[in-house]
Amino acid sequence: MTIKTLRFIVSTLLALTAAFALQTAGSRGATPKFYSDDPLQREPETQDASKVQEWEIDLFWDLAENLFGNPGAKTPLVKSRDVNSIDEVPNSSWFTNRIGTETLSITDAVRGPLTGDGPAPGAWSVIRPKEAGFAPGFTMNDAKGETWFVSFDANGFPEAATGAILAANKIFWALGYWQVENYLVHIQPKDLAIADTAVVKTPAGKRRKMRQSDLEDVLRRSNKSADGSYRAIAAKAVPGRTLGGFRYRSTRPDDPNDVIPHEDRRVLRALKVFGAWTNLVDMKAGNTLDALITDNGKSLVRHYLQDVGSTFGTGANAPREYDEGWEYLWEGGTAMKRLVTLGFAVPPWQTVNYTKQPAIGRFEGVEFDPTEWKPRVPTAAFVRARADDNFWAARRVMAFSDEMIRAIASAGQYHDEAAAKLLADVLIQRRDKIGKAYLNAINPVVNFALDGSDTLTFQNAAVEAHVANEPASGYTIRWFSFDNATGNTTPIGSPTATNDRRAKAPASLPSATGAIVKLQIVGTDPAHAPWAAPVDVYFRRGASGWALVGVERMPDSVNERKP
Amino acid sequence: MSPMLHRGRGCEPHSTRKRGIPLRYRLTLSRVCFTVFALIVVPQLASAQDSRAAEIAAEQARKAAELKPYQPSGAEKWAVKLRREFIDLPSGFYPYFGSVYSGGGFTLGAGFREYYGDRTHWDVKGLYSLKSYKFIEFSTDSWGHAQGKMDLHGRIGWRDATQVSYYGLGMSTVTDDRSTFRLKQGYVGGNVDLRPVRYVVFGAAATYEDYSMGSGQGNVPSIEEIFTPETAPGLGVSPKYLHTTASGGIDSRAPGAGYARRGGLYEVRYHNYADQDKTYSFDRADGEIAQHIPILRENWVISLHGLVQTTLNDNDQVPYFLLPSLGSGSTLRAYPSWRFRDRHSLLMSGEFRWIPNRLAIDMALFYDAGKVVPRWDDLSLKGLKSDVGIGIRFHGPVATPLRIELAKGSEGMNLVFGGSAAW
Repeated sequence: MTIKTLRFIVSTLLALTAAFALQTAGSRGATPKFYSDDPLQREPETQDASKVQEWEIDLFWDLAENLFGNPGAKTPLVKSRDVNSIDEVPNSSWFTNRIGTETLSITDAVRGPLTGDGPAPGAWSVIRPKEAGFAPGFTMNDAKGETWFVSFDANGFPEAATGAILAANKIFWALGYWQVENYLVHIQPKDLAIADTAVVKTPAGKRRKMRQSDLEDVLRRSNKSADGSYRAIAAKAVPGRTLGGFRYRSTRPDDPNDVIPHEDRRVLRALKVFGAWTNLVDMKAGNTLDALITDNGKSLVRHYLQDVGSTFGTGANAPREYDEGWEYLWEGGTAMKRLVTLGFAVPPWQTVNYTKQPAIGRFEGVEFDPTEWKPRVPTAAFVRARADDNFWAARRVMAFSDEMIRAIASAGQYHDEAAAKLLADVLIQRRDKIGKAYLNAINPVVNFALDGSDTLTFQNAAVEAHVANEPASGYTIRWFSFDNATGNTTPIGSPTATNDRRAKAPASLPSATGAIVKLQIVGTDPAHAPWAAPVDVYFRRGASGWALVGVERMPDSVNERKP
Repeated sequence: MSPMLHRGRGCEPHSTRKRGIPLRYRLTLSRVCFTVFALIVVPQLASAQDSRAAEIAAEQARKAAELKPYQPSGAEKWAVKLRREFIDLPSGFYPYFGSVYSGGGFTLGAGFREYYGDRTHWDVKGLYSLKSYKFIEFSTDSWGHAQGKMDLHGRIGWRDATQVSYYGLGMSTVTDDRSTFRLKQGYVGGNVDLRPVRYVVFGAAATYEDYSMGSGQGNVPSIEEIFTPETAPGLGVSPKYLHTTASGGIDSRAPGAGYARRGGLYEVRYHNYADQDKTYSFDRADGEIAQHIPILRENWVISLHGLVQTTLNDNDQVPYFLLPSLGSGSTLRAYPSWRFRDRHSLLMSGEFRWIPNRLAIDMALFYDAGKVVPRWDDLSLKGLKSDVGIGIRFHGPVATPLRIELAKGSEGMNLVFGGSAAW
């Protein structure tokens, strides 16, 4: 036995012994349901992610996997794991609470993610043509040397792609997603020069120096205005090092902070609702972007919903296909049904009427059913969205006022006011349908408070959104003391009833600091059967009174799913 | 302990770690100790935390100890490879499926291409079919010249079709008269395709074609055993042609010519076959019309097709193997390849198509009718052979790589496998 071998054995034994000792010690105490720092206001990201590497997610595989691989079909359907103990999503490298939780003015919403005024005027230097996606474009440096990604409206479709990007960019920023800064620019070809270092990737996959003809090719595919200029979007390069997109499933194996499977992130599941609202049909990894940024001296991966321009009624090059938003690109059962019926199994999208407005395309709200809406491919996060995820998302959609929606639609800067009006009208129609569908699909009690006089108040999100009336037979609240260590509950007093969402607690509420009470709230109304499922609400008594510490709307694991 | 930002109603969180992925560690002393510590101790530290943040931090620390780059699965690697081969068309070897000559049966082949310009490559490819048909071609193709309005192609090649059918001239032939001949063809030429403005197409081609005709193989008589130069014009000769073509028309088919649900094609083509021995020179004109009429947002499509091929000068001698013909493919689909030949042909087809899936599958009920005749004046709607059938087409956005059709005509059933759209 060599010295080296002996050292190996001794070290291993020491490590195992230490592990055993810690394991024994750790098992002595039960894990509490609530920690002292619940509910978290920010998702911890503690590790240095500087070793994360750029990757390229193949579009073809991403499409095939999501269409045929059913990556989100595992059971059980668990509760989203990026929510805190009060069923809200804390801020993170994925999400920032804005509308629905913070006060967001119309001015702020219309400004969206913008922090400046766009590319610096002067000579713009093209450094390479756009290689991803169908929209014509290129990458350039402005007069100050800042990098911008420029994309144009397709030839023959003025304002369609650029208008959609402008409006959707602000909507998704308000919803809380990390967004690229998109600015509207009007480009005169004479203002463009090709950088000496500019290269293009040829169809053969080779790189060569960029020529004037390459730039002309981009402009030829772009829509030219009457004055010879080209309307375009200039997207500011995101800070940090770009790493490629993110998948809607599993985690990034080289990001230490990415420990929650993406399909179980509410911010991604919620795209089922946000996508339905805005018709974000092109929900693919290629439209996302990860970037390695430095935050307080630490390297972290920030996750952008980069390209939200595939929204409303137009694509990058033309109006949407009629079935987009209604069917996945491939549905075996639907295809077979049509096959055997010679096509006479006519789906609803065949007969939907659209208002003719080329800048907006095929976007309507009359036949729209949010529960039936589908992107081109079903992502794992999309198919795993549960009623509580949809409820959370729907509350945010409902937080957009008519005025805010109209202001955002106008931010699309359509020359025809009718286009902005149509976009806003349809968004309002679709918003209201989302509220009706998802706020009523689950017990919608929210905004709980237990004040110093032990009086409980709460609200009904469906009633607040005017998509339901108060329950006909009011609300019933059951009170319990809650043992945080064991999870045991003990009833306190008798159930209390209220019609006005205000109820006095039983006299025997615990008074010790740190005590936790659990409430079960149900609404009784034959017209709203889901309201009979209790929402569990937890308050912890602190030095300054009761503080909300837990909200549970559904069991953590359910088996049913509705894609 | 896997991470959650909450602990709820009895949830058993599942592990974020992928099972079955081998750790590609070298088992050094330090790594063993570190791994033991990370796998056993860190989770315990997590459960021993007194805050949610610490619990999550511990999970992140555990993952930090086992970071690894993304490893694509075998399926993903294959999908990417298929995409590169069949969609990106990169330089290098590629599998090749095509037709050597109509009636040759299934083929297997391979090719090698190499780009030498942005959209320009040379390409060598070969095929071998179940019936021992052989094909090899060296070509160069260059697309998108003149601001995307012009494509250029050049090729040199050779094919050997060992048992091409010949049933005699006209519509009154019977299947029992089937014979075969062997056709070897060497060729060199080029063509240019022009799209000066949207929908308008022009084409021009010039090819030197060297035919070498021989006895057919297979289990039916060879052509010279049944037919004579009177019933098989040019029997026994092996001409060499300078074949020039000019064409022009309107092509509005969409999404693409290779797979269309709307738009149409209206085109005329002129062929001049200049026999180097002057004996078998002839001119031929083709007129083709195709129109796709979508119904209810392309839920259904009525597709209509007409094709006339006519030998322009009655005095010209056209060798039997270059006569206009009907049979199989996308002509009279219930009949075998080359079933009817003569100096003029007329074909009309109609399809009722329905679209089970916009991305991948089309279905069609079809009807074909056509005839071949010795004289232009006989080219009427009388005496047409017809068939009916059903087809399934597996397509992409702009191409139809597989078309399977079952057709029934007066001589029975025929199963057609095609590698392109019917029209």
